[in-house]
Amino acid sequence: MKATPVAAFALRALLWLAPSFALWYGVAPWHASIAGAFAHVWLAVLAPGLLATVERTGTTLAFVTTLRVPVAGQEGFLVAEAGALVYTYGLALFLALMMAARAPWRRILAGAALLLPFQGWGLALDLLVQVGINLGPGIAAQAGLAGWRREAIALGYQVGSVILPSLAPVIAWAVLCRPFIEGLVPRAGGMQQATTG
Amino acid sequence: MGRFLASFVAILVGLFALELTPPLQVALVAPWTAGLAWLSATLAAAVDPHVLATGKVLRSTTNGFAISIEAGCNGIEAAIVLIAAMLAFRAPWKHRLLGIAAGLAAVQLLNVVRVISLFYLGQWSFAAFEWAHLYLWQALIMLDVLVVWLLWLRALPPQAALAP
Repeated sequence: MKATPVAAFALRALLWLAPSFALWYGVAPWHASIAGAFAHVWLAVLAPGLLATVERTGTTLAFVTTLRVPVAGQEGFLVAEAGALVYTYGLALFLALMMAARAPWRRILAGAALLLPFQGWGLALDLLVQVGINLGPGIAAQAGLAGWRREAIALGYQVGSVILPSLAPVIAWAVLCRPFIEGLVPRAGGMQQATTG
Repeated sequence: MGRFLASFVAILVGLFALELTPPLQVALVAPWTAGLAWLSATLAAAVDPHVLATGKVLRSTTNGFAISIEAGCNGIEAAIVLIAAMLAFRAPWKHRLLGIAAGLAAVQLLNVVRVISLFYLGQWSFAAFEWAHLYLWQALIMLDVLVVWLLWLRALPPQAALAP
């Protein structure tokens, strides 16, 4: 087994991780805003009317909902916060993989854009799990989240928070760097063969 | 690649949903996580006798610092990703099973390193622990899965991709 090309690629990816994380952390507040906008779109589809607006402080997003809650004898709107970094760090992994594959900037930017819906998904499900599960049945009922929808939210949240943040960058890399992968691993042509075989 | 990706995602979501069911949590995930904590404590105890594992919790008996191994950190999700990637790729079953066995060993080995490193990193600096726990190690584990999968692809016989 010739492991050298894969090992060389892995080493390059490891070396690129540090500068990639630094770059990601530097742009994280703006990145959070864009991912928050995608979360807004997801929520408009998954729970229409639930979200009024999204505000950002640093890398923390505040989801201002239309749900009414009592606050010191008065009534206010529920605001739920979510840290964006845990959903957007995959950008650093993606950058490291793309740089290790010596991909052109055009593809890197395309891939970074490709990741945004996945990051938005994680943030959207973060809000839904807070509203539909963590804050109790009263809030969940007010949001219209009950029965199978709560189960779907739990699964969607697990996928969006545990798997997608680190897996989506690898899939985006594989899609955008297919010629590189086939050069690295000739058998990767089997991914095409599998479609016809 | 579209068919491969569709198979991969279908197997991935199926296995992940299965993992989240209460019976599997009780029968597999909880004992596995406790075993991981025990193994990590046993290895760490070779150089540090003040490490104790209780269930899924790893604790220092000197300063009381403790970490609890939760979903996403027990290596099961990474294993599911690797299994899905190997099952979705057309290859002889013998190679799939060998790949899964060797791949899981590689992923779990690195995961033990992750747990032990986080345990000591947390005692040194909580900020560094948070960074390594939430971002760095997640990326490293997925990179490990990717490299194992690429190595497995290289190890397949030339006709493997076309095998029935």
